[in-house]
Amino acid sequence: MSEQGTSHYIETVVNKTSYRRVVRSRQLLVHFLRDDLGLTGTHIGCDTGNCGACTIIYGGRLVKSCMLLAPQADGVEIETVECLAHDGTLSALQQSFHEHHALQCGYCTPGMLMSATYLLRQDPSPSEEEIRRGIRGNVCRCTGYVNIVRAVAAAAAAGAGGSPAGVAAAGEGAKRSAR
Amino acid sequence: MLLEQVEYVRPGTVGEALELLAANEGAAPLAGGQSLVNVLKNRVASVALLVDITRLDELRRLRRAGDGSLEIGACVTYDELDRSEEVRERHDVLADVAGHIEDQQIRSRGTIGGNCCLSDPTNNLPPIIVALGATMHLRSRRAERSVPAEEFFKGYFLTALEPGELLVSITVPPLPKGSGAGYCSLALAADAKAIVRAAARVTLAAGAATVEDARVVMARLAHVPVRAAAAEDGLRGATPDEGSVRRATASAGEGHEPISDSHGSGAYRREMAPVVAKRAVLQAIEGARR
Repeated sequence: MSEQGTSHYIETVVNKTSYRRVVRSRQLLVHFLRDDLGLTGTHIGCDTGNCGACTIIYGGRLVKSCMLLAPQADGVEIETVECLAHDGTLSALQQSFHEHHALQCGYCTPGMLMSATYLLRQDPSPSEEEIRRGIRGNVCRCTGYVNIVRAVAAAAAAGAGGSPAGVAAAGEGAKRSAR
Repeated sequence: MLLEQVEYVRPGTVGEALELLAANEGAAPLAGGQSLVNVLKNRVASVALLVDITRLDELRRLRRAGDGSLEIGACVTYDELDRSEEVRERHDVLADVAGHIEDQQIRSRGTIGGNCCLSDPTNNLPPIIVALGATMHLRSRRAERSVPAEEFFKGYFLTALEPGELLVSITVPPLPKGSGAGYCSLALAADAKAIVRAAARVTLAAGAATVEDARVVMARLAHVPVRAAAAEDGLRGATPDEGSVRRATASAGEGHEPISDSHGSGAYRREMAPVVAKRAVLQAIEGARR
């Protein structure tokens, strides 16, 4: 049992780095990532769980980090957009976003990339409909989604499914076979 | 955004969780949090202590028992229902309903227990749970009891749960050969709240020439899922074809004063109720024939 209280000592692994921190019960997970760990790639769009800009992979599952509390990071492995590029080289999916002009203002991009990364782990060759279903929780107000869907499809066709460069798929979500 | 000051604790067992819920006034169980966390952000309800039940093994179980019934722990997520071979085996409609809730991120966290215990009249699972004749298993520090799903939903954001009581699991009875389930929602867009919704379970008599039994459950006509008794009566003994089903479900909107809101007027809800009821029943008949 964790200690009951308003602040908590937690141990978590974010992008393969271990952290030990004290967090508050009232703190959202997205603020822990951004404010405490300085991982500002995860964006805050709406704060209400609607826009998906704060999407991360938590224990192998895709979640919106504004809908969890900081103490819930305890004992869980987390992946954020910062884990995608490796030594300055974009992941195949990121490169595909670049090549297909899948972003304009870029605000939704970290969340889109995490949703698409998760999708391709579940299903390395999704149909267009499955891609659209996979990014349904991510709002983009610039692109109209067409180029994003193209970028994900092209990355899938080029074999970008599976783990992003340098990051092993974590948690049970990655082990499940695609339906 | 910071929430209002709140305590958090993550118990290791259901017993510890029940002790915490009993001992702390203003304690609330935190399951997937896909509604509760927003409630806390909006400060529409005040919670003194969040008891995180998401990692309790007992609440995460999902299995098909020997008699063909499904035992679903309260913290099984929509995603797990969607991807479960055991659920799909006979209860594919339940898996499909869960798999179409909102988006992947919400399905990763949202739980069947949370969806039922919130008792939001727009929630997807309560009507199908009632149509399938499920039983809700509740536990407190001192006692355990089981409540039919039909009696669990008491009102607008209100259930049969007493203070200190926790929904532990849900048993969905077997759907034997000759039985099927159906579900149909009417909404303005894929992301919109349902205007009116129906769920059905139909059993065909041997030979599939007539309907032996039917349960038709309507959502959004009242604050809780309601059985369409006249439709059920009309279906028993009827031939399982579209004309008979249309006649039997014609009264599905009667006897209620549904709300009018920006999604649709009460009159429109009543008018569309037979349409969704018919579609849900026809889908159930199709399932029963497989």
